[in-house]
Amino acid sequence: MNDAIWLIIAFVLMLLAMGWFALSLKTHWKQVMSGKPASRLLRSLGWICVALSGLACLQADHASMAVLVWIMLSATAAFIVGQVLSYRPGLLKPLALFRA
Amino acid sequence: MQFNSTRQGMAWLHTWLGLILGFVLMVCFFFGALSVFDREIDRWAIPETRFDPQPMPSFDNLLMGVFERIEPDEAEYKRMMPEYHDASAGEMTPRLELPADEYWAYTTHRDPVLRMGAGFRVPFPANPEGHNHIHGNTTIDPRTGVSVPDHHLKIGSEWFYPLHYSLNLNWNRIGFFIVGIAGFFMLVALISGVWIHRKIFRELFTFRRHKSKQRSILDMHNMTGVVALPFHFFFAFTGLIIFVAFYYMPVTNTMLEPLHSAQQAIEAEEMGLPHERAGIPAPMASVDAMVAEAKRRWAARDMAGEVGFLQMHHVGDQNAYVSIYRAGSDRVALVGEGIHFNGVTGDVLREDPPHSLAESIGDFLAGLHLQHFEHWFLRWLYVIGGLLGCACIATGFMFFVEKRKQQHAKSGSQGSRIVDAFAVTTVTGMVIAAIAMLIANRIIPSATEGKGDIEKLVFWSVWALSFLHAIWRSAAVALAKTNPAWREQTVLIALLGVVAVIANWISTGDHLIKTIFTDPYWAVAGVDLSLLAGSLIALLAVKKMTATHETERKQETSQKKLATGEAAYE
Repeated sequence: MNDAIWLIIAFVLMLLAMGWFALSLKTHWKQVMSGKPASRLLRSLGWICVALSGLACLQADHASMAVLVWIMLSATAAFIVGQVLSYRPGLLKPLALFRA
Repeated sequence: MQFNSTRQGMAWLHTWLGLILGFVLMVCFFFGALSVFDREIDRWAIPETRFDPQPMPSFDNLLMGVFERIEPDEAEYKRMMPEYHDASAGEMTPRLELPADEYWAYTTHRDPVLRMGAGFRVPFPANPEGHNHIHGNTTIDPRTGVSVPDHHLKIGSEWFYPLHYSLNLNWNRIGFFIVGIAGFFMLVALISGVWIHRKIFRELFTFRRHKSKQRSILDMHNMTGVVALPFHFFFAFTGLIIFVAFYYMPVTNTMLEPLHSAQQAIEAEEMGLPHERAGIPAPMASVDAMVAEAKRRWAARDMAGEVGFLQMHHVGDQNAYVSIYRAGSDRVALVGEGIHFNGVTGDVLREDPPHSLAESIGDFLAGLHLQHFEHWFLRWLYVIGGLLGCACIATGFMFFVEKRKQQHAKSGSQGSRIVDAFAVTTVTGMVIAAIAMLIANRIIPSATEGKGDIEKLVFWSVWALSFLHAIWRSAAVALAKTNPAWREQTVLIALLGVVAVIANWISTGDHLIKTIFTDPYWAVAGVDLSLLAGSLIALLAVKKMTATHETERKQETSQKKLATGEAAYE
């Protein structure tokens, strides 16, 4: 498969990961949904996506390069999720899957 | 200073280090981010070089002729010749008669043009052991061998890029040292910042923009600092290690100089590469044949590639040798897999062995900062990292001012007012100076003598003007209000960004429809689009600032009304 497609997949996975990390926190969950989040479950989902995103990076590039892409993607995705929570928290609703 | 807790001490350290060095770090981060695309900015600034990247051209047919045309630099000759030359041993050789000793050519996957240089020997040297070279450089169009005229300043790679590590203050390399100190203390600021923050994970995604100005600024400062923490840390760290041995602790050139020279001679002997000239003239073998052999050997090692750097030592001498290095566009680590040839016979003298683990880590760390690799996506991610760093430093300044200005207004202190004016200059003023330089570049006719110097002058003058403007408008801060210079300079950024794009269009005919669709040339389109994106962000910021200004004014009038009302009541 094309490298660019793997990089897009890696980016989307990282956005999902950061979205779930954010929703695992009570304050952010409340911006989207009532009740409390199933924090541990959401956080695990987040870590799985972080790992999968790393694998997607490895599909696109040599390991040394993939590490850099992976770390920079996490920074970018975390910033984007932070801004989404501030301006359009509703966008994260589809990720608010597991209530405690 | 007495602190009740470590955390308080860290906060003090973070505040004051951040404030003083933040001004330098802002320059490092902003121009560092621009340097990711330095070659593309060069293309924008020198329209004569807007063509596709080229591989290294034939040495025998093209480069040799160019090397022979290179002259020793006049300024360097004047400065260094008296130092290198031993007047008691013989006449000083005139500049144009200096014999060439070394040739080099350098290109990357992003360079349409080829950089070349020659090192000239000094006959009757004062220190025969030393590296007595007077240099001369040129940049050519590798398709024709024609030199790109000198008055064309490469704004990306020769102005923005060195700005980010030397501030372009070359007197006694003072700029390098200031940046080095700032880089070191940035590591301290990062650690102390993490220490005082405490809720790293819990507030990672928190940006409460509707809360007080002070709160929202601190949120943004924390977020931009924490999300890109690995980036901030590694770029400060690798920036330091790239320069540490060279400039900051050059023991090999001071205390350990004799040991260093002896080591070099031994290494050269072990490698079989002659350290000195033999003094016997000899004709050079075909370098193109050596390039073909080097490529064949790289391919045999399963790492086929193009030539990135080529160097001929002891030109025209029996001991001449040619070192050929591979372009590192397919990896992070900066290694050349150099292959060295006898310059007279054309035989292989040596292949550089694979690097040890420690060396490989060094190669990787240097490579991740210097980015010779071909990876457009990662380049853009680096730009985002750099801009997050800028946002972090800028909000740091703003927080410093917000936190103190009420108190300063009451006590009549001018502290926050002065800090705020410096912040305006380093945040918006710097962007204005950079765009103004690009506009000047497009307005000044290409044939103008000393064009590059005028552009530099525009850069510094505009920056100085932005400072004067910020100071002139700063009285508001002493009254605990916002300096209107923030808004005014942001309006100017929004305007100048568009002006720069139009100036490029008018002066070259390259508009975005052409550079994106009809005749794609992404280097120029990318710079244009980035300028427009900058304008758009500035415009959004202006809108936000206008709204804040309105609320501030309303509060003020209502307070006044209240006060007069109360007065009337009494």
